[in-house]
Amino acid sequence: MIFIKNLVKQYGKHVALDHINLSVGKGAILGLLGPNGAGKTTLLSILNGLIDFQEGEITIFGMPLNGELQAIRKRSSFIPQSLALYDKLTIIENLRFFAGIQKISGNTLRHNIDYALTVNRLHPLRDQKAATLSGGQKRRLNIAIGLLNNPELLYFDEPTAGIDPESRNAILETIRFFKNEGKTVVYTSHYMPEIEKICDDVAIIDHGRIIRQGSLTTMLQENEGDSAVIELLHASKTQLDQFASKYAGVEVVDAATLMTSSLDAKQMGMLLSALEAENIAVKQIRYGTTNLESLFLSLTSQGSCDV
Amino acid sequence: MFRAMLLKEFLLLLRDRHALAALFIMPSIFILIMSLALKDTLGSDRVLSTYVVVDQDNTVQSGRLQSFLSENSALEEHELTLTNVAKQQQALNETLHFVLSIPQGFAQNLGQEQSDPALLQLTVAADVKQEVLTFFQAELTKGIMRLRLEKMQEELAPFLPEVAQQLEAMDFDGDGLVTVHFNGMEASKQPTSTQQSVPSWIVFGMFFVIIPMSTVFINERRQNTLMRMSAMNISVPVLFAGKIVPYMLINQIQVWLMIAVGIFVVPLFGGDALTLGDSISGLFMVSLGLSLAAIGTSVLIAVMTATVEQATTIGGIINILLGAIGGIMVPKFYMPQAMQDFANVSPMSWGLEGFLDIFLRGLGAEAVILESLALAGFGAGLLLLAGIIFSSKLRRGV
Repeated sequence: MIFIKNLVKQYGKHVALDHINLSVGKGAILGLLGPNGAGKTTLLSILNGLIDFQEGEITIFGMPLNGELQAIRKRSSFIPQSLALYDKLTIIENLRFFAGIQKISGNTLRHNIDYALTVNRLHPLRDQKAATLSGGQKRRLNIAIGLLNNPELLYFDEPTAGIDPESRNAILETIRFFKNEGKTVVYTSHYMPEIEKICDDVAIIDHGRIIRQGSLTTMLQENEGDSAVIELLHASKTQLDQFASKYAGVEVVDAATLMTSSLDAKQMGMLLSALEAENIAVKQIRYGTTNLESLFLSLTSQGSCDV
Repeated sequence: MFRAMLLKEFLLLLRDRHALAALFIMPSIFILIMSLALKDTLGSDRVLSTYVVVDQDNTVQSGRLQSFLSENSALEEHELTLTNVAKQQQALNETLHFVLSIPQGFAQNLGQEQSDPALLQLTVAADVKQEVLTFFQAELTKGIMRLRLEKMQEELAPFLPEVAQQLEAMDFDGDGLVTVHFNGMEASKQPTSTQQSVPSWIVFGMFFVIIPMSTVFINERRQNTLMRMSAMNISVPVLFAGKIVPYMLINQIQVWLMIAVGIFVVPLFGGDALTLGDSISGLFMVSLGLSLAAIGTSVLIAVMTATVEQATTIGGIINILLGAIGGIMVPKFYMPQAMQDFANVSPMSWGLEGFLDIFLRGLGAEAVILESLALAGFGAGLLLLAGIIFSSKLRRGV
């Protein structure tokens, strides 16, 4: 479906994408992970023909991106992170406008609007102005607009940023629904548990380079063994950050979780004693397992969970 | 595709009360106020100057001079109640333009070839305009000439009665001596304040599209709606066309609404009704050219500024500057020659001249071709520049 070979993008002297090689199969859901500034948005922008690139080859649907951009765009859709819609228009007016500019009309228009409203559960709100919608409902409208051309390939740029858990789950369900429909999805998110829940494949990008890619299951299995996840009671992120800065091989995942790598039994004992001395109670320790977050942190050396 | 864009722009505009006020209500109110405010300035029967007469001669001739002055409706005589000099001076500073003193011996000296001291003495308020003083002096001179002719007629009557009769029959009425015909207008018609005001405020109002247009454009850019449209195969020229067409229609609605205000609303408030010229096609040519110029300015501002606040501030300033320079705020004929020449740099001046050709001078479409083309060229040039900048920013992801 998507085939990228030796893609290079430079902004002046800054190399944003450095010889990227990536492929996404038909019907797959690819999670694209990377810290801020790693090149994720640049890559999505290039794939949608919004910015140029200096070197490399991109083929989508078997067609070269540079020569067949218009044909490719008709079969794909980009759902940007920002709410690219009109607050002063109602949901149905927004959908009719974005369908209209894509020259979708007649029965196709009616069918595709109905599909977009149904998939995103927006039918009851169709005559409501976008400005009056909740954050989650606006996100769903943002996705609905992307479905108007009934795309085979969807690019999601952090579609759940800044919304409540209920709305997030609704969006994740929608993306699973796309998978069942055989659509291909490229997905970036700040929330790694989301990627674990919905993605088949993962590509980790850092400093403009793909540092790991492949099946999510395989990737997690390969990294099992020498890590441990310590779940804590009653700690604060600041307290944990201060604590972790004193110990090599200890990373803070969140306010209630530490992740360790390559610690032997003696070192682990010392670590637990130190936690006790700091009055940080341990809830449980899981050995020999890893999650995407710990894998990501170990690969990118990021202290934050920013993806 | 254009239908969708057109509908979207109209819906966004209709739901923006501030934009509607800026585009339609504000220029309509301007037209009403300025037509009424300038009504007396351009009317032929308005009072140009006020005066009092201090008649120390008290003869038939001095009385005749005063009656000649009172025949002119542009002069308004006030009752002489101010006997002391200090009060006269105060009145001159506040309400009067002139104090005319007719000294003793006026009638006696009328027939003399040279008079020393002068026949009349005039005290003038310090703020009287030169043209008003010249006008008053001319009226006095005319009065003296009439008195001298009457004196000659009396002296000639016993010897040359036919010549005396001819002199008596002489017409001193300005309308009888000189026929005034305003260029491009019917014989009995004259320009009104409405004919002058409506074109000015139409031009000014049309340029107010800068505010709603740049607001929508910047919001679209900030929310990545433009980027999304670009990802939906909408090219920059099509995107711009999707802006130009609806706002051209909005501009045309503005033009006809403001013309309707001039025709139907201004008379309700006592002003003169606007009369359309003979060239509707010329009107369309100028208004379309102006529309393109205003839209080009709007899009360029929208493309070059980062926030709505910047665009509305810069847009507002540019609009007012172009208006001030271009003869919208102050009619060009009030400006000194150097400023009149400078006014020609403003596209508003080109549009105004075009409209005045149609509304005021009664000219046809061929007279406004140059102005229309200049405006359209100006607008197209700005749109091209905006397109280049916008495309560059889009490709760089700015």
